[in-house]
Amino acid sequence: MKITYLFAALLVMMIMLLALEEKIHAKKSVIVAWFAAITLFLASFFGLVYPETVKILGLDVTLPVYIPAIDWEVIAIILGSSLFVDVTSKCGLFTWIAIKLTKASKGDPFRLLIFYGVMTVVFSAVLNNVTAMIIVGTLSGVSLSKLNLNNKLLGFLLVEGLLTNVGGLLTLISSVPNIIVGNAAEISFVTFFIKSSPYVVVATIVTIIMGAKLFGIKALQGDVAKAEAAQHVAGFDENDGIESIWFFKFGTVMTALFVLALASASVTPYIKDLGMGYVALTFAAIMLSYYKSTAERFYQAVDWDLLAFFAGLFIVINMMEHALVLDLIGEELAPIIGLGEIWGTAILMVASALASSVTDNIPLAAMLAKILSGLNVPSDSTLWWAVIFGANLGGNITPIGSASTLVAVTIIHKFKLPMSFMQFVKTAVPFAVLQLILAAGYVLVFL
Amino acid sequence: MTRLDQFTSVFKSADKAVYSYQKLSFKRILVVTDLKSNDMRDFIQTVRSFLSVTEEAKPQWDSVSGEDFNSVQQLLDIIQDKKPDLIVTYRHLHSKAWQWPYSLGEYLDIMSQATSVPVVVMPHPDAGHALSHSLQNTDQVMAMTDHLTGDNGLVNMALSMTAPGGHCWLVHVENKQILDRYMDVIGKIPSIETDQALETIAHQLLKEPKDFIDACRSVIENENGNVTIEDVVVMGRHISEYRELIQAKKIDMLVFNTKDEDQLAMHGSAYALAVELRTIPLMMV
Repeated sequence: MKITYLFAALLVMMIMLLALEEKIHAKKSVIVAWFAAITLFLASFFGLVYPETVKILGLDVTLPVYIPAIDWEVIAIILGSSLFVDVTSKCGLFTWIAIKLTKASKGDPFRLLIFYGVMTVVFSAVLNNVTAMIIVGTLSGVSLSKLNLNNKLLGFLLVEGLLTNVGGLLTLISSVPNIIVGNAAEISFVTFFIKSSPYVVVATIVTIIMGAKLFGIKALQGDVAKAEAAQHVAGFDENDGIESIWFFKFGTVMTALFVLALASASVTPYIKDLGMGYVALTFAAIMLSYYKSTAERFYQAVDWDLLAFFAGLFIVINMMEHALVLDLIGEELAPIIGLGEIWGTAILMVASALASSVTDNIPLAAMLAKILSGLNVPSDSTLWWAVIFGANLGGNITPIGSASTLVAVTIIHKFKLPMSFMQFVKTAVPFAVLQLILAAGYVLVFL
Repeated sequence: MTRLDQFTSVFKSADKAVYSYQKLSFKRILVVTDLKSNDMRDFIQTVRSFLSVTEEAKPQWDSVSGEDFNSVQQLLDIIQDKKPDLIVTYRHLHSKAWQWPYSLGEYLDIMSQATSVPVVVMPHPDAGHALSHSLQNTDQVMAMTDHLTGDNGLVNMALSMTAPGGHCWLVHVENKQILDRYMDVIGKIPSIETDQALETIAHQLLKEPKDFIDACRSVIENENGNVTIEDVVVMGRHISEYRELIQAKKIDMLVFNTKDEDQLAMHGSAYALAVELRTIPLMMV
């Protein structure tokens, strides 16, 4: 038991250091690497882990314990998806869509908020929430400046930032907690989408309406104002960022096929044995063919900090499993889960959201996924969804709650708009509370 | 370079200047000379024949002879009184200094800046150095600047001077000396890749006016199908580049901006052009 408490203390220390990442000027991959090294050594020292020889395809293979500790499927999905998105964004498709929608709004602020809001959600779902925030946030800055609506920019950026985490709930690959929890619960891509999309639609509508009211974003009145605004946005050229029309079309088709392939991965013969990581990596390789002689610049752009962080985190959590720390936390969670489906789900969701708001939601999701798996919680239990919704929406409570809200604040500061940590919390909390109430109601009533 | 900056650049680049066509016409044209009556009649005839494109609006032609004024103030008073919307004159009124290509003469110098009216500057009637193709008509008009993008006024002015069936040249000459100076500095900064910087900056500097000319062309084709839009977008030295273009394209009139909101005097490159390009009429806007 003493060993379990020792490892639990190490886990708490790691989570605290991750929360203080900015203060201690250390990348999270490095922080997690320290703890991966320490916990591996201690686990080996206490005899909790030892190398085993296993048979793989008829061969006897002895693997170091940290190799099977890592969930390689998750690593492959993230690596493949980020490479695919990075290369595909060069074809100009996403900026083309963004500018087309800007022109379709005819410069009307309210219509623009709706279009940008929906675009944020869809881009967050298909790409990732950080890329979505960067694309829509920077376009908001440029287009509102063109429309002389700089006084509305703060409202736009905040609403978009909050919607990235709503959009992150749309598909299984939209956010890392979805991938981790979805994998652990064996939720397929299609099931995930069918179950989460009604909530995403409602939460998007509610967030946009609330944002429009709070920040005074209204439709234009009068023909002169409408004509003037339309003329302002007419100057945007959606084709400007397209270097090759062939690559643009190729990127468009590949994006559609990518989503289709992921959606059908669990039922497609042979592919289902290889998994979504294979699909993501294969599509990345196909897209990289266009840049075959300069592919290394895309490898340089891969978020290696994030991937190393995952690898280290999986090792730490695996060691916690061996040291029975997860059982200990599971025992503590048991009364909450035992409160029944309604209270158990609601409290788990709120607890996940609060924890996600101050620290990284990835370790939280990884840890809770392991615990729920250990408790043999069935795939269709609402508890999985409580973790998914809580971990994603918790990012809307503070600017450090998710990477995309942090990007939103960075863009806000880039345009020299005032927004302190507390101002963000004060403005965002009503949105987050409403989104969580809606989520709890939705999970309990419909899932 | 961060991705935030990359996307900001992409969207800024996609935000292009919009051209809006406006048909300009001149109702009152004032010809200012220092000639006596008979000579002035010949000069006015030459001007009216050359500017026949303005006749569509049936303008009222008025004139000021050399006997009507003998000071700048008097001339300005006459202009204020007659309220023309186009002035036609030449350099070195009441002066023999036209023989030396170093100034405009005090009258033109002040008139061009003290009034908001565009001024057409004809080659001096006594100098005899007008190019053979010039002074016939305005079927080859060139609007030139080092910042064409978004300059609707200049484009519309050049169009108003282009005879039906003629060619309106929209010319942007990016100052190579300035770019060279910046590239020299960039070449000394280790964190910036010099060749790539030169290529991308030069490309972007020329892309913007090209895009604007494309926008102008598509609007003008719809609004004024009688005029063909031609373009020249290059990197070079202003005066020598324009001199070569005038010769090569047989340009009849050069239209350019001379007023600068930040200063009272004509800005540097415009003054040099107004002084040195003496072989064809100029329109100073």
